[in-house]
Amino acid sequence: MTPPLWTPVLLPVGFGILIYALPERMKRALSFIAAGAQLAACILLFREACVAPVSLSLGKWNPPVGIMLYADRFAAAMVLLTAFLFLVLLVFEADRLVSDKNFCMLFLILEGLLSGIFLLDDLFSIFIFVEVSTLVAALLIMFRRDSRSMYDGLFYMVINIFASTFFLFGLAMLYKQTGTFSLQVLGQILPDVENMTPLYLPYALILTAVCLKAALMPLFSWLPKAHGTPSAPSVVSAVLSGLYVKNGIYLFIRCQSAFQAIDTSTFFLVAGAVTAIAGAVFAIAQSDIKLILSYHTVSQIGLIMVALNMGGETAAVGGMYHIVNHALFKSVLFLGAGVVIDEYGTRNMYDIRGAFRRMPLIAVSMIAAILGITGAPLFNGSISKYLIQHDVSDTLGSAAMILINVGTLVSFIKFSGMFFGNTRIKARIFPGRTAACLILGSLCLVFGVFGVSVVRTLFGVSITIDPAGYLKKSLAFLLSAGSAWLIYRFGVRGRSIWRRVRAVDFGFNASALSVVLFFAVLTGYLYLS
Amino acid sequence: MNIGEIGAIVIFFLGVYGMIVHRNIMKSILSLSVMDAAVILFFLAGGGSGSTAAPIGSEIASGAADPIPQALMITAIVIGVAVTAVALTMLIYIHNKYGTSNWEKAGKMRERP
Repeated sequence: MTPPLWTPVLLPVGFGILIYALPERMKRALSFIAAGAQLAACILLFREACVAPVSLSLGKWNPPVGIMLYADRFAAAMVLLTAFLFLVLLVFEADRLVSDKNFCMLFLILEGLLSGIFLLDDLFSIFIFVEVSTLVAALLIMFRRDSRSMYDGLFYMVINIFASTFFLFGLAMLYKQTGTFSLQVLGQILPDVENMTPLYLPYALILTAVCLKAALMPLFSWLPKAHGTPSAPSVVSAVLSGLYVKNGIYLFIRCQSAFQAIDTSTFFLVAGAVTAIAGAVFAIAQSDIKLILSYHTVSQIGLIMVALNMGGETAAVGGMYHIVNHALFKSVLFLGAGVVIDEYGTRNMYDIRGAFRRMPLIAVSMIAAILGITGAPLFNGSISKYLIQHDVSDTLGSAAMILINVGTLVSFIKFSGMFFGNTRIKARIFPGRTAACLILGSLCLVFGVFGVSVVRTLFGVSITIDPAGYLKKSLAFLLSAGSAWLIYRFGVRGRSIWRRVRAVDFGFNASALSVVLFFAVLTGYLYLS
Repeated sequence: MNIGEIGAIVIFFLGVYGMIVHRNIMKSILSLSVMDAAVILFFLAGGGSGSTAAPIGSEIASGAADPIPQALMITAIVIGVAVTAVALTMLIYIHNKYGTSNWEKAGKMRERP
């Protein structure tokens, strides 16, 4: 028996409201029941979507007029990932935040909204879901209501709503030209359109908003504020960085496949490469552990963008696999960082020493995640990076790839400084936290060792890993790790130039201007090319 | 393109201009509402003009106004109200805390512990 397609959207939202309405003592059990049931429903759904794409028209109206839910294998895999991650995050917070019913309600509603964005086919409904999830995410960011997170939450919300208004304006123009919001229908009718020029403007408006959601280069200024704000609960940072930006990437993939006739892959390839390198440079400059991780998300998003726009099938699969992998290792890193911050009472990484002795299990899972994110052999990042580099043949492309990876390595060599050092103190950590970190950390290894079968299960694509090529990539990893250490030792530590990089901060008006400039450049590119 | 749509485009970019130049958080929220209103106007102006028949009843005249934009815009208005309400609540909090409603000044104060 498979549940109807609306289950992953309505089940968590319904439970969230129930938790708010029912007496206090039931909330913990209820939130775990909700997350567990959601995971079970998503597994059933994924099994069905593996056979053939599932679709459901709501209210007996079919597209182009009605609203349709549509789950192909990729969408079902993303919903499954969402359900799994939310369950693990609830385990992580079982002792503290889950005992707050406002948090449970908002967290479960966010789960439903994120699943909805993955499943919806109708662009207007996607707009509604994106707006509401922005509101919920902003409320979660400032959950502890201290002044700094209030400012960051407001900044995040206003700039995101600003971009969503662009999206809505694009939808208005799109509807006028085509008479539908359905991505499926658009994908069918647009290839037959002879003159695409009237669709350039709506396309640019929609893509500007999607790229802001995905935090592409000039539009990323909200991300470190939202994901790295000191007082935001670490599970919220993990959700935002692990899943929420993936919504932007996912929408990008869906929009690009609907608008296949408009070729912008070169534009986004360059934008992705710039994002990846700039994100790494900003990450190296930081000394706040949460901010390092946030800028890293920017850098990895750039890498995924490069993979998706390279044009090769294998690279695109690598990009999709990297979306899943990034969700895993970035969640571990944010959760681990949360534990470390609680334990040491500081976020400055130079003040944190001896974390390995003090909390061995958390440190082990964080190190697994670091090996994953840097693409060390046997870990999950190495598989997705291998696939991404599969089609790169020219020198410029390879050089850019190596540069991105060295940047990642340098910042994580800086990051791992906190594990070294001696201490006699043993941290007392709630077992749920350790368990959550260990589960996700070991998955980083499992998804690397069994990478081929995981990719086949999740995306239905058979890939082959050439042992000689993989060995060559592993050697390249060791060489880059060595050079990254040298760069860190002689080029980063104690150099004042990095302080100046750290001081670069887009204000609100500059961020709004960058949205408009991005839109203008994209429109110009479309009309001129 | 009719007069409503041209007006909507002008108003939309007025709102965008407001977002870029104003440092006051209140004015940013107002600009957001202006942009929202412009999009709603654009949708409705595209759906039909004053002379088209209303799409009501079981026998709908051919050439009646398109009902979908109108149905969607009710949703968009509701969302806009919710967003404005939450943003204003946060603004009140920030103003009470910092005594300013300027993005730059509040941002500088935020850096202090």
